[in-house]
Amino acid sequence: MLRQRDEIPPGTLALLILRTLSRAGELHGYQIASSIERGSDDVLRVEEGSLYPALQRLLVQGWVTARWGTTEGNRRARYYKLTAAGKKQLAAEMSQFERVMGAIVRVLQTA
Amino acid sequence: MGLAELARRVGMLLRRRRFDRDLAEEMRLHLDLRAADARAAGVPPDEADAAARRRFGNATVLREESRDAWGWRWLEDLGKDARYGLRGMARNPGFTLVAVLAFALGIGANTAIVSVVAGVLLRPLPYADPDRLVTILHGGTGPTAAANIYAWRAQCASFEALGAAEAWAPNLAGLGIDQPEKLPALRVTPDVLPLLGVPPALGRTFVDEEGLPGKEHVIVLGWDLWQQRFGGDPHILDRSVVLDGVSYAVIGVMPRGFKFAPFWVTTAQAWAPLVLGPKAGDFHWSTLRPFARLKPGVSVAAARAEMAAVTARLEQAFPGTNRNLEIVPLEEKVVGQIRPALLVLLGAVGFVLLVACANVAHMLLARAQARQREIVVRTALGAGRGRLVRQLLTESLMLALLGGGAGVVLGVWGVDLLRALEPVDVPRVANVSVDATILATMAGVSILCGVGFGLVPALRATAVDLSSSLKESARGATEGARQGRLRGLLVVSQFALALPLLVGAGLMIRSFAALQAIDPGFDSEGVLTLQVSLAGTSQVKAGRPETFYPELVRRVEALPGVASASAINHLPLAGDMWGIGFTVEGEPTPADGDSEVATYRAVLPGYFRTMGIPILRGRDISPADDARAPHVVVINQKLADEHWPRGDAVGKRISGGMDQETFTIVGVVKDARQHDWAEKLRGEIYVSVAQARRYLDNPGGPFAYMTLVVRTVGDPAALAGSVRAAVRDLDPAVSVSSVSTMTSVVARATSRPRFYLTLLGAFAGLALLLAAVGVYGVMSYAVSRRRQEIGIRMALGATRGDVLRLVVKGGLGLALVGVAVGLVGAAGLARLMAGLLYGVTPADPPTLVGVAFVLLAVAVLASVVPARRATRIDPMTALRTD
Repeated sequence: MLRQRDEIPPGTLALLILRTLSRAGELHGYQIASSIERGSDDVLRVEEGSLYPALQRLLVQGWVTARWGTTEGNRRARYYKLTAAGKKQLAAEMSQFERVMGAIVRVLQTA
Repeated sequence: MGLAELARRVGMLLRRRRFDRDLAEEMRLHLDLRAADARAAGVPPDEADAAARRRFGNATVLREESRDAWGWRWLEDLGKDARYGLRGMARNPGFTLVAVLAFALGIGANTAIVSVVAGVLLRPLPYADPDRLVTILHGGTGPTAAANIYAWRAQCASFEALGAAEAWAPNLAGLGIDQPEKLPALRVTPDVLPLLGVPPALGRTFVDEEGLPGKEHVIVLGWDLWQQRFGGDPHILDRSVVLDGVSYAVIGVMPRGFKFAPFWVTTAQAWAPLVLGPKAGDFHWSTLRPFARLKPGVSVAAARAEMAAVTARLEQAFPGTNRNLEIVPLEEKVVGQIRPALLVLLGAVGFVLLVACANVAHMLLARAQARQREIVVRTALGAGRGRLVRQLLTESLMLALLGGGAGVVLGVWGVDLLRALEPVDVPRVANVSVDATILATMAGVSILCGVGFGLVPALRATAVDLSSSLKESARGATEGARQGRLRGLLVVSQFALALPLLVGAGLMIRSFAALQAIDPGFDSEGVLTLQVSLAGTSQVKAGRPETFYPELVRRVEALPGVASASAINHLPLAGDMWGIGFTVEGEPTPADGDSEVATYRAVLPGYFRTMGIPILRGRDISPADDARAPHVVVINQKLADEHWPRGDAVGKRISGGMDQETFTIVGVVKDARQHDWAEKLRGEIYVSVAQARRYLDNPGGPFAYMTLVVRTVGDPAALAGSVRAAVRDLDPAVSVSSVSTMTSVVARATSRPRFYLTLLGAFAGLALLLAAVGVYGVMSYAVSRRRQEIGIRMALGATRGDVLRLVVKGGLGLALVGVAVGLVGAAGLARLMAGLLYGVTPADPPTLVGVAFVLLAVAVLASVVPARRATRIDPMTALRTD
């Protein structure tokens, strides 16, 4: 049976990445993708490749750093970690997200 | 963008290759892990790989997107476009050279003229608050008398300060100079230097009491004089300078670059107090130039209104003394006359640049068309139009910047050349230089032109309708109608732009010819002139100017190679002129202040013979006309004809001058140009120096300076040395200056039209050349596009004449439209030029017809050459080749 998968709303990908890294510490790209999908119970599906441009944008902003390491399968992989600026950004985005979501939920309930 | 972020971005730019490798590896790992997970879940291997790739998305696009995150995409594209463009330029060196050259000429001409305009018109006068500085002029040019200065100071509330200056050319002796020199200087009332608001570099300027008699022997030096004559002596304030035999204590030095006055005696290098008191009641002896500073908040209009009321009152009290006086902003007086000329030149170079742009635009268009198939193919393969336009624009910008760079170099040379032309009456021309602002402006103009002339061809070339384009270029028998229209427009605009320039140049040439045809009334060939100054010498103290000059003339006439010699107070066309009010005996005496004024010249015997001025009736002034003899005058033909139309002027009497002396007319001479080369002729009265006592007695005064005129047998310039020696032998304290041949005096008097003529002529020539090259390019390109059509026509029996007619008709048609449009533009330009013209109207038919004819001839020539080439092709070859 096919489960319905929902596209993630634009702009939330960065938020999801930051949130994932804040929980898990240091992850490489595939781990981040898997983690997001698992965490959302596979409801949210990332077009997996778009993770990589998003990670580059986060690198440019200085919210994450990257270093090269080795996987369990002994392959070279780039590991990403949240920076202090990234933590601050996450907090800011979370509170904004909650404000907006709260507002939407209120509108939907009163309607 | 923060600094850290910028550093990260730049780091990425530098390690781009590594970046790409890392990204690819990261993505490969992702795909492998995803596929491995799927296989572990039991999916067959090849299906697992495909599924992983599907879930991943378009890796190429994602890689590009990742790179874009760093924001350098535009730069990378630019680099690629630039490299591509450079390769293209290197492949077509002829095209590149012509385009760059055309553009360089346009930018070069603009750089030079914009620099002149900026230096002369835009830079404010170098004084504090220069827009509050004004001068007061009589009849637009004339000086003022001392009594007026007092009256205006007392009665005008608009001025914060009002002072006056008087020209002064003392002899500077000593200081290791073997023969005394005349120092260009000014006497100024003590308030003049302070009111300019420029503090001295050393010492002080004048205080009020230094304007009182007996206190005036102090002097302020110019920076250059201090540096050159006194070696920048730091103790200069303890020294004094001997001028005209009188010692002046140095009290100050003005800063480097300080110039005063900004018009008239602009080279003054020393300023001493002007003692005005003794002349306080004199309304007639007009030698003063007023300079004033308006009170803050007082407009020029308000000051003028007040001045009008004051002068009206004064005119009533002292008739004939306060007419035609007007306050003129100093800036206006300095540059007002030159402004229209410079604006015309600015317009001209603008047109040159537009012609150059039209040229390059056409070349780009032609090249884009030659590359049509490449563009079509790239479009078919999915290249975005924006990307293609950007690439074509990069190329045109590179051409523009190359051309602009070369143009600025040309412009810097041009400015040097302009300064070398030494237009004597272009004010502040020494200030002109190519500075950073101008370079930035020209860079901006270059980019603007690059985009401007690149955009239309780029948009046109990339607006491809794939199916029809492929068809058209596959069988390019006839060119696309739209391309033809654009090309036609370019030809029309080139002609339309070139025509006004040629008309401008034509009008200048006609004016110049008219000026050259003026009969100056004297024969300037073979005459040497030099100013001799007795100021401050024992000659004046002993009251001997009266005998000094005749003796000098006698000695000079004895020199080998000298035909004759004489002297005059003010040489014609050299700038100085006095007027004399007079009345004619037997005619009703006009009201006070309304008497007729003629040009006043005082001469020694032999002046007319030496200058080659024919004596029409009567006789020359002779040595017998001395102080004891009855006073005589020689008048010019114009004055004689006005009062004695029957030709019986000789023997009649007039009275005039400051003492209302009576003179008997003894001769009538031919009219001579006195002040301005192209002036309206006025009456002239020549008196005998020996009979002009009042001036001779004036210590250090007017006849202390006279100009010696020497007619020579050979080259006049070669005699300068021996004439100087004759002066030195007579009295070594006497100074000689302004040594010049009469022909170069005349040349200076006509230097302004010659300057405009040279420039406008050069620009018009440039525009014509560019237009001709452009039209030739367009025509030969059009013909080459129509080779197959021509081949078919000839195969069907058209003769070469038929084909020639066809092509020429096309070119001529476009040229006619361009000429028609250009004539409208020329009418506008010519009206602007009206003030620069002499003896020719702005709508001069011969000029207009001649210019139109030249342009049409260019069009025919530019069509015939490629057309002839086209008709020589074998029709079969033309049909086969594509």
